[in-house]
Amino acid sequence: MIIRTKHFMLLAACGVVASTAAAHGPARLKVEHSVDIQAPAEKVWARIANFHDMSWHPAIASTQGSGGNVPDATRLLTLKGGDGKATIEEALSKYSAEHMSYMYKIAKVDVAVLPVTNYAATITVTSTGPSSSKVEWRGGFYRGYPNNDPPANLNDDAAIKAVTGIYQSGLDALKAEMEKGGR
Amino acid sequence: MAHPSLAHIRDRMPSVNTLVVACALLLGRGAWAAEVAFVTTQSDDSVSVVALGEDRLAATLKLGGKPAGVAASPDGRHVYITSPEGGYVSVLGTRPPALLRRIALKGGPLGIAAHPDGGRLYVADWYGSRVFVVDAASGDILDELPTGLSPSGVAVSPDGTLLATADRDSDQVSLFSTVDHRLIGTVGTGKRPFGLGFTPDGRRLMSADVGSNTVTVIDLASRSVLGSVPVGDRPYALTVTGGRAFVTNQYAGTVSVLDLQSLKVIATIETGEYPEGIAASADGRHVYVANWFDNTLSCIDTASLRVTGRVRTGDGPRAFGAFIADVPEAAAH
Repeated sequence: MIIRTKHFMLLAACGVVASTAAAHGPARLKVEHSVDIQAPAEKVWARIANFHDMSWHPAIASTQGSGGNVPDATRLLTLKGGDGKATIEEALSKYSAEHMSYMYKIAKVDVAVLPVTNYAATITVTSTGPSSSKVEWRGGFYRGYPNNDPPANLNDDAAIKAVTGIYQSGLDALKAEMEKGGR
Repeated sequence: MAHPSLAHIRDRMPSVNTLVVACALLLGRGAWAAEVAFVTTQSDDSVSVVALGEDRLAATLKLGGKPAGVAASPDGRHVYITSPEGGYVSVLGTRPPALLRRIALKGGPLGIAAHPDGGRLYVADWYGSRVFVVDAASGDILDELPTGLSPSGVAVSPDGTLLATADRDSDQVSLFSTVDHRLIGTVGTGKRPFGLGFTPDGRRLMSADVGSNTVTVIDLASRSVLGSVPVGDRPYALTVTGGRAFVTNQYAGTVSVLDLQSLKVIATIETGEYPEGIAASADGRHVYVANWFDNTLSCIDTASLRVTGRVRTGDGPRAFGAFIADVPEAAAH
């Protein structure tokens, strides 16, 4: 019990460090990833349009949220693995059903879960034909370590690699699901 | 005045592939060919040199160290660029654009401003809670002034008497005398002030508050807050011209236009993804905006409040500071 409490406090302390808007690294980083899907844009958008349902992404165990699909709505993503402790709190910044696009930012994440700070991203579906579409995911963020001379696990490369992995696995899974069966 | 290709250009906006600055065409080439934008492109470690009277990227110089902040010298002969990761300021000549030398500084030099007399540079250390006073000609560090936490934007009043820093993580601005380097006082702002700008009459100072989505307007005589004006999501930097402030909103992808009399937003202009650095032409007819995600420099016509042109830059343009140099026609190298 004592150990658990200590562990919790340590996690909480890490959370505070990561969530305060302390000085960030010297360079903002960007990742862009897109996938072409053989399915109509409307169908693909319908799968990802609910900010409070990220079940289309294979790394996400559950999504809890409130506030609908309007700016300032929040969601708590719990990642698979990590005994339910690996979470990311996110907030919706912009949402357009018309343009099949939304922008969100990370409100709180431990850099041990995702080695980034000041993260924001946009995901957009565009139609490329009657039965084909393109999904684009674009993120801007700083590395996990706020000062110069970062350790290897919190440097620019680590941040880019982690975000690229999320985008790639998510869009690959979305493509596979959308192109399966054709329903 | 009607340029034969102008309608064609407008039809194709906002395609960046046109690589055309329509407003430059409207102005004509001669009069303003001397205004040159030095856009720091952090992601490719360079500076994009854009002649604002032409429709192309004039030059690219590799600087290294993740360049971010920029200040043109008042005489237009030099441009000073900070590299916060590299820990130095690059000194550039403007005609032709060339790297002349580096000034090594400790910590993470980010925000930078040049004194109107051209003699001194003021460079904020993002990691060190201080601003360096540097002799522009020799590169000697003359003084170090303690600021609040994470100083970012730096500005000098038009008459040269006041130095201001935006102390991002202390939610304040610090005001110093440029004569004796004394701290005159601090003024609380909105949350996380980043970019700064004086009004041309020197009576007010404004901060773009990243954390509270506001612009704080400070009266300098009384050192009190005149107003806190709500703008777009994540305001980053601002420039003041013609009785209005133009504020980049990073997450909104817009520029808010704020009237200095009413302290109200009178227009919101879509520019590009992650607009950051912003600066006005000397005549105030145009405002230029670096769009970090799009890799473009947008031109806003301040009369119509519309985007009238766009030039592609290097990767990750930030252009944090006074990035337009008014290069003299016959400047010495």
